[in-house]
Amino acid sequence: MDEPALIREAQRGDLEAFNRLVLAYQELLFNTALRVLGDEDLAADATQEAFLSAFRALNSYRGGSFKAWLTRTVINACYDELRRKKRRPTTPLEPETGNGEEMESPRWLADPSASPEEQLDQAELEHAIQHCLDALPADFKTVVVLADIQGLDYTEVARAVHVPLGTIKSRLARARLRLRECLQAFRELLPAMFRLQEERGT
Amino acid sequence: MKTMTLHDIERLSAFLDGQLPQAEKTRLESRLKSDPELAAALDELRQTRAILRRTPKRRLPRNFTLTPKMAGLRPPVPRLVPAFSWASVVAMLLFICTLGTNLLGRFSFGAAAPMMAAEPMGVGGGPADEGLAATESAVDSAYADLTATPEAYVQAVPEATLAPDTRLVQPPDTAQEKPRQPLNPWLLLWPGLAALLLAAALFVRWRNQRMFKKRISRK
Repeated sequence: MDEPALIREAQRGDLEAFNRLVLAYQELLFNTALRVLGDEDLAADATQEAFLSAFRALNSYRGGSFKAWLTRTVINACYDELRRKKRRPTTPLEPETGNGEEMESPRWLADPSASPEEQLDQAELEHAIQHCLDALPADFKTVVVLADIQGLDYTEVARAVHVPLGTIKSRLARARLRLRECLQAFRELLPAMFRLQEERGT
Repeated sequence: MKTMTLHDIERLSAFLDGQLPQAEKTRLESRLKSDPELAAALDELRQTRAILRRTPKRRLPRNFTLTPKMAGLRPPVPRLVPAFSWASVVAMLLFICTLGTNLLGRFSFGAAAPMMAAEPMGVGGGPADEGLAATESAVDSAYADLTATPEAYVQAVPEATLAPDTRLVQPPDTAQEKPRQPLNPWLLLWPGLAALLLAAALFVRWRNQRMFKKRISRK
């Protein structure tokens, strides 16, 4: 994929070129939104909204990491969603996460080839991580999701969140500290994930 | 980890990502060797990061590609006949012309009427006053020029010399019953031209839209 060429064509209004970029980045944007919002439907809405606003604002992209630029649009869409949620708190029709029942559904699990035990481990791991992420303030959560879950480097995170590099370092450290404490509570519940980690070494 | 400052944690976190400047890195490395608590904290942070990195990715519920409708793409404004980009301007000019001609026509009828209605009362009081009225009107011609159009003035004086009896019986608004001028054919031409232009513009737009839809569905 010749990304710069596709961007140039999309900037000229070529929707087909833009949609090829969408296909390349939709997983990153959706999973970022999912971790920040903690809800699949809201994440899907935010992702769609992000791609729409990216297409409209494509001419404001002036080089640099396109990944970071796109991530910024999804972070903005997530913050809009969070603000809306704050203004009009809604009662979900289905029981919220917490009873863990919906995690039985394997349709979204990352690795369909994994054994049932591994799938269950993954589901529990995901639940634990999301639970701890949800306890973080939005600014901390965003930074840790981008850096540690999505693997963006510090410069990309700073560009995506639009704050100085120093602030990114500080927020990331605090977020990791809080997550460490929160995940400790799952150590007994999820020995497998810690064991696995220790086996792989540091 | 309790005795550590937040600044220490920030340093450890940046060290973990290889983001510490060389000088600070060397200092921290020597501290880590002598401080087991600091080393344990680093290990825990590293473990936390490793767990986060293993967060399962969810499969997408759907594709997020945009449709032309979502993207708000509309067929481009027809550029087939460049003159049509000025269609609204031409239409406006035609409208003003039509309106102007209409209004002018109405004023030329209306200006004469009040004068004719007013003159019999003031000037044409009766045959005895005729001479006086004529002199007065001659003297005051300069003043009259200021207050009324010369045309109206000239029209008014002969009117006054007519038999006053008939004038008194007649209501003053008889002037309006004067035969109207036949309709100016130019007045019909302008709206006709405007309608033709509008129809042509609509046709080009419709054709353009159809071509755009065909192009989109082909994709």
